[in-house]
Amino acid sequence: MSPVLFWFFTFLMLAFATLVVVNRNPVASALSLVVTFLSLAALFVGLNAYFIAVIQVLVYAGAVMVLFLFIIMLMDLKAERRRKFNLLAVGGGVLVSVGFVGELVLVLGRFKLGESPFPALRAEKIDDVREVGMTLFTTHNLPFQVIGVLILVATIGVVILSRRELK
Amino acid sequence: MPAPLSPITLEVIVLSLGIFLLLAESFSRSEDKSWMARLSIVVLGVVFAWSFHTSGNAGIDLSKAFYSADETALFFKRLALLTTMIVQVMAIEYGGVLARFIPSSKTGAGTGEFYALPVLTCAGLMFMASAVDFLLIFVSLELVTISFYILVAYMRKQSTSLEAGVKYLILGALSTGFLVYGITWIFGLTGETNLFRIAQVLPGMLAEGGRLHDSQTPLLFGIILVLVSLGFKIAAAPFQIWVPDVYQGAPTPITAFLSVGSKAAGFIVLIRVIQPFIGLPEIGPKVMGALAVLAGLSLLYGNLAAMPQDNLKRMLAYSSIGHAGYLLVAVASTGPSLSTLGQSNVAVSFYLAGYLLMTLLSFLVMTVVANHSRGDDIIHFNGLAKRSPFLAFGMLISMLSLAGIPFTAGFYGKFLVFAAAVREHHFVLIGIGVVTVAAGFYYYLRVISAMYWQEPTDETPVTIRPLTRFTIGALILGIIFFGIFPATILEMLNSAPVQNTPIALQTSLK
Repeated sequence: MSPVLFWFFTFLMLAFATLVVVNRNPVASALSLVVTFLSLAALFVGLNAYFIAVIQVLVYAGAVMVLFLFIIMLMDLKAERRRKFNLLAVGGGVLVSVGFVGELVLVLGRFKLGESPFPALRAEKIDDVREVGMTLFTTHNLPFQVIGVLILVATIGVVILSRRELK
Repeated sequence: MPAPLSPITLEVIVLSLGIFLLLAESFSRSEDKSWMARLSIVVLGVVFAWSFHTSGNAGIDLSKAFYSADETALFFKRLALLTTMIVQVMAIEYGGVLARFIPSSKTGAGTGEFYALPVLTCAGLMFMASAVDFLLIFVSLELVTISFYILVAYMRKQSTSLEAGVKYLILGALSTGFLVYGITWIFGLTGETNLFRIAQVLPGMLAEGGRLHDSQTPLLFGIILVLVSLGFKIAAAPFQIWVPDVYQGAPTPITAFLSVGSKAAGFIVLIRVIQPFIGLPEIGPKVMGALAVLAGLSLLYGNLAAMPQDNLKRMLAYSSIGHAGYLLVAVASTGPSLSTLGQSNVAVSFYLAGYLLMTLLSFLVMTVVANHSRGDDIIHFNGLAKRSPFLAFGMLISMLSLAGIPFTAGFYGKFLVFAAAVREHHFVLIGIGVVTVAAGFYYYLRVISAMYWQEPTDETPVTIRPLTRFTIGALILGIIFFGIFPATILEMLNSAPVQNTPIALQTSLK
């Protein structure tokens, strides 16, 4: 990926991620999140990880965001607009994030390994769908099965916590 | 004698039990769902017995595995099973309260999952006990955390339960973010997620000419991020903000489950995660230093903040932060050799076993009393000795053991922790520990004085179900037995072979 494109998509991703938090209107926040996901997908394409990029668009930008928007439309948006900012909380949040970014900059400054150029990607095409599938079902099958249980638990949780009246 | 089982069969049985319960519940017509808890207690008991007869790690190359069934892992699996069984006893006792706070169309509706989810959580805890790869650690940790999000918020008609659920969800998601970010750094630097592989490749990377020779800061950054997240799971200061509200708001059996099950599993993961790094002279002391700071802060914060509490659940929440502090003292007293590592692990394991017995005992008594008095403030325990001498005695034993009186399991646990700290010359931590133990006496004895020296507001005797009575009796006996004969557990722990340890050994340290 050319550095110009990398910086462009990175900037886009970060800018819209900030907008997600800053926007008072939840619908605008959700749409900014879509742009963030799309830029992230573009970065994956730059790494030749086409499968992950496609999944990123389909699952996150597609399915998850549609669900988000549905839920937002069911909520009372006016209540959100009337909400006052708690200055102390905002100040604390800014302090923590600035501290964390400062630490990150410090670490990256001492990260000699990061200055070496990224090795060139292999020229031949990798069948990444096949690779991901093989990994999930052969070498990494145990964590994959545990994820299955995790999703079962999450599904039960959604039903229990969201039904108006349990039967 | 049948042939030893492959250890993973234990988790498979527990998972199948959880799924079976969910299915069976939907076909059951009975309004009282407590049969699910009874069935699960029986099956989990069988799995517990079976865990003594497994093939262990025979024939497994751990550097390629996700799952290790060494003695420590099996010990923590047993802790998870035992905790879940006692939590189910508590859940049966709690059923009446639970039904009142669930929006249901008919009696008993929606309570079934409350008995099935702890079983699935238990499977997650058991996976955590065995995980030796960051991927399995992450996945099983999430399984446990997500089940807890649901269980904490289960009483939807009670606003404190919902509030606790939301707080736990938001902070839990944040801590998960830290964990993944930390794992990414460690994976990015070493190229491995398996702890044994990390231990194998690290010495070469840190040596002259290795990739990490010039600066270890990035690796330390990754480790610290992982520690932040695990600090959240084990409720150590300064990552403890969520603890009091969540413990107080959650249904009492779930509070007990959180404070024992989640903490024990968090500690086994913590012990495993730091093992590849403690043998490295460039990194080990720094990691230990960070853990020592966490230990000191947790000790001070937990024990001092527990003193003014009037609600017993909230007080136990703060005291659980304090106990995380004692456990962290033991973890931070791991020296860079296999024998000190073994001793610290024994101290942590023994302390957790004792902590399990005494905490679950106090929560079980609290569940029964709160059912009758409709509240879990300390004043609700006033004069309990007159209303039910048996319950008051149970609470007395658990409070004495939590405080660390001799001839209880709590005393010997603290003794092992301080012995480890003395060996590693952590004199500041010992000083803090002595002060906080004294503070502990104050707030634990307050409960005892309420039970024995205050007049009851309500004279009705408290009735106890036979199963609960039996469990309370067994827990009391356990605390006293392991306080007088600690060797019974210690022998089991000492037999744990240390070669199943992903420790990076440099030639100078062997």
